[in-house]
Amino acid sequence: MWKTILRRLLIMIPELIILSVLVFILSKQLPGDPFTGSINPKASMGQIHHLMKINGLYDPWYQQYWHWVVHLLHGDLGNSYEYQEPVTAIIGSRAINTFWLALLTMIMTYAIGLPMGLYAGRHEGKLQDALVRIYSYATMSVPFFVVLVIGCWIFGYGLNIFPTSGSVAPNATGFFPVLLSKFYHMILPATLGALFATSSITQYLRSGVIDAKNSNYVKTAQAKGVSMNNIYKHHIMRNAMLPIAAFAGYSITGLLGGSLFTEQIFSYPGMGLLFLNAVNFRDYTVMTALVLLYGFLSLLGTLLSDIALSIIDPRIRVE
Amino acid sequence: MKDSPILLKVKNLRVHFPVRGGFWNRIIDKVKAVDGVSLTIRKGDTYGLIGESGSGKSTTGKAIVGLQDATKGHISFMDSDVTKKSARKKMNYNHDVQMIFQDPELSLNPEKRIFDIIAEPLRNFEHLNNEEEKIKVLKLLEIVGLGPDSLYKYPHQFSGGQRQRIGVARAVATNPKLIVADEPVSALDLSVQAQVLNFMKKIQKEFDISYLFISHDLGVVKHMCNHIAIMNRGRIVEIGTREDIYEHPLHIYTKRLLASIPEADVNKREEHHKNRLEVEKYYEQNKDKFYDENGEALPLIQITDTHLAAIPKNMKKG
Amino acid sequence: MQEVESKDINLKKLEAEAKANSTPSSFKLMFNEFKSDKMAMISLILVSLFILYVIIASFFINTSNMMSTNIMNYFAKPFTPDFWLGADAGGRSIAKQLIVGSRNSILIAIGLTAISSSVGIAYGLISGYFGGITDLAMQRVYDFMMIIPSFMIIIEIVNIIPSYNAISLTLILSMFYWMGTSRLIRAQTLSESNKDYVQASRASGTSTLKIIFKQIMPNVSSLIIVDTTISFAENIGVETGLSYLGFGLPMGTPSLGTLIANANDADNITTYWWTWLPATIEIIVLCLAISYIGAVLRRATNATQRRSTK
Repeated sequence: MWKTILRRLLIMIPELIILSVLVFILSKQLPGDPFTGSINPKASMGQIHHLMKINGLYDPWYQQYWHWVVHLLHGDLGNSYEYQEPVTAIIGSRAINTFWLALLTMIMTYAIGLPMGLYAGRHEGKLQDALVRIYSYATMSVPFFVVLVIGCWIFGYGLNIFPTSGSVAPNATGFFPVLLSKFYHMILPATLGALFATSSITQYLRSGVIDAKNSNYVKTAQAKGVSMNNIYKHHIMRNAMLPIAAFAGYSITGLLGGSLFTEQIFSYPGMGLLFLNAVNFRDYTVMTALVLLYGFLSLLGTLLSDIALSIIDPRIRVE
Repeated sequence: MKDSPILLKVKNLRVHFPVRGGFWNRIIDKVKAVDGVSLTIRKGDTYGLIGESGSGKSTTGKAIVGLQDATKGHISFMDSDVTKKSARKKMNYNHDVQMIFQDPELSLNPEKRIFDIIAEPLRNFEHLNNEEEKIKVLKLLEIVGLGPDSLYKYPHQFSGGQRQRIGVARAVATNPKLIVADEPVSALDLSVQAQVLNFMKKIQKEFDISYLFISHDLGVVKHMCNHIAIMNRGRIVEIGTREDIYEHPLHIYTKRLLASIPEADVNKREEHHKNRLEVEKYYEQNKDKFYDENGEALPLIQITDTHLAAIPKNMKKG
Repeated sequence: MQEVESKDINLKKLEAEAKANSTPSSFKLMFNEFKSDKMAMISLILVSLFILYVIIASFFINTSNMMSTNIMNYFAKPFTPDFWLGADAGGRSIAKQLIVGSRNSILIAIGLTAISSSVGIAYGLISGYFGGITDLAMQRVYDFMMIIPSFMIIIEIVNIIPSYNAISLTLILSMFYWMGTSRLIRAQTLSESNKDYVQASRASGTSTLKIIFKQIMPNVSSLIIVDTTISFAENIGVETGLSYLGFGLPMGTPSLGTLIANANDADNITTYWWTWLPATIEIIVLCLAISYIGAVLRRATNATQRRSTK
């Protein structure tokens, strides 16, 4: 088992390298440079060229790449063109917001999806199951952001239950009111995001429950006289839920990708919105840093899920 | 059949599969599926290759047809060396050497009609026009006892035995000289087995085809084969004519296989059962003598000019 | 020759007999299953008609005229004879934008599905059939493509290229959306490649290319049909999403996404609801209809599978 984990970790290294090279090359293609517009607008082209030269912007690309990586490993992602501050500082606070929103979305996804999947599997073929299946495929096919727009319109603006922008109310003070306000702001986007993401968990769990229902060990338990409720609790749920837990890592990619839309619609100050603003203001260092960060987090998530699955699934373990 | 021309000669065939392991997935060992097999098939032979699962007989068959590359050794067909894939391709090897597969469920493409299935080798090796092709396929269907109404049907509409007959028709389509039949009746009900075997015999006579008949069942083979080779753990442990093997078996593995043939005669039941126990006892006591330190079979020793067996030298009787 | 002659007379009769006993192919079977579901047929017809309408009607609309701003019609109300669906902040007819935008978004989605499905199918077939190192390498590429943040990179690319049109955009998008299909196809191909009929084809002398595309692919064809349909529904969201964020089609080209983007303004979303609601409703209905068709197709293929594993 350790062999699998170690091998998996080793594969991550070339993936990281290729990711960073890709991100770097893309960033070099973006038009513009870090200096025009940031310093004295009266600076001549000659002076700008000189600045670029001493900052190594005319060096061959692999040298520039190497410098970039070295800076990266020291935690230096460069300065934001727009704010003239270290990128790490700018991303910092936003990252926390996105993190909490993503976490809440993941929790909601499991909170909604697990019971739904179990319920549908248990009542296979009946009306409840049909309803769940209709719901699943409906949310799966409609584009994610459309669900968000409609949800925001109905629950935010229409019924005015939830706030539609920002991460915290401006007049909240003190620890608990702030916490509550933050939660209040997150609940609508998290729930809507969760509604969309539950379909895969629900499907998986449902078929897992159905397979387990027909399996021999459940039939044995029934023959022994164990009540259906207990069977579900002790046998079926445990077997079906373990892989679901492992899938959590894979969902990170989707959560991050979705953050772009969620934060745009709800004007939520997170990394997604930061990226969109950075694109519009041509803040290339921030853009590049975010793409790299997102890619890295996705990589990490896939890695963790692969490792978790290899621990859980005895079949994979025997390698 | 001793003076018939040699059709296929296999010399020291080895097929080794690498086993990967360790951290870097390097090759740490190899599975010696076929480890030094030599045999000679002459025109008109029905050559039986017998062994249990894992003995390497199917792999040998596949190597002969060209579906499996040989790791070492030589295969020659009618004096041309066909060990390499390029050589086989150049001489359209499969036009003359075909295969019948074991599982009737899997050996026919479920998405293709019978016409296309049987015509496939024709389309690759012979260039007939539409009419000629259709006539040929209809004729083949007739030979295996299926009517023209089968032409545009799908495999799932036929029984196991019928599907095997379609497989036989496909193998015979290009009028090959040698057909490798890999356990052609093992997946069929007993009552159907005889039917398919009879078809195979009929076709052999009509088209002058030689067979390499691979099986694990010495009972089935008794009626079909004139030459038999017994395989065990990748090596041949006994070769001989039908008489040699059934009347004078020498290797304990052969004896064991013979003893396990179910006896249909109820009256001989006791006798047969006693015989089987005896063979088992002899096997348990002496099996190590017949295999070397590595657990591999001994080299073959010539007993008569048709009979060879992999017995220890001191056991050779006059 | 004599044999041919005597058979000649019978050939026609035998041929007729064979044809009379022929069985419908799995395509026909699936289609018949599908036809029996009334709702699915209606959905299919409605969707096809809608797409046709949108394409034809957009020919009659002069895009540059339509997109020119006319402050006089600032947020004109809907359900009037001039503006069936009202107008937006620039006084442009929403109804006309909806027709042209639908055409653009749908055609891009069709193109995206066609290209990414083809790539995904070929990728899965090759990866699954050859196995070994080829498969390993291809899977590494797959893994990598799955972790890169596709949307962000697409947005960056869109900003790098000086000019692009609908076609180049479709090509760019196709680079990132073939993975799902390839995974499905690969799984099925792996299991099919181990079956004896593939070996039988090889022994019959069929070339590798023909085996992959003419022997194995028909066995995954039902999977392909279902997956392509469902992918189509999902792919509509790709360009629309991009345009919604403002990075899709170049300025001045309407799309369903740009229309829904009207909802970004807090005022618009409630007061001037006609600017974004029609496009939103259209996308929801379209996607639901298409994925319903896909679900029915999947059910139909399961029915035909049953007959072949008797």
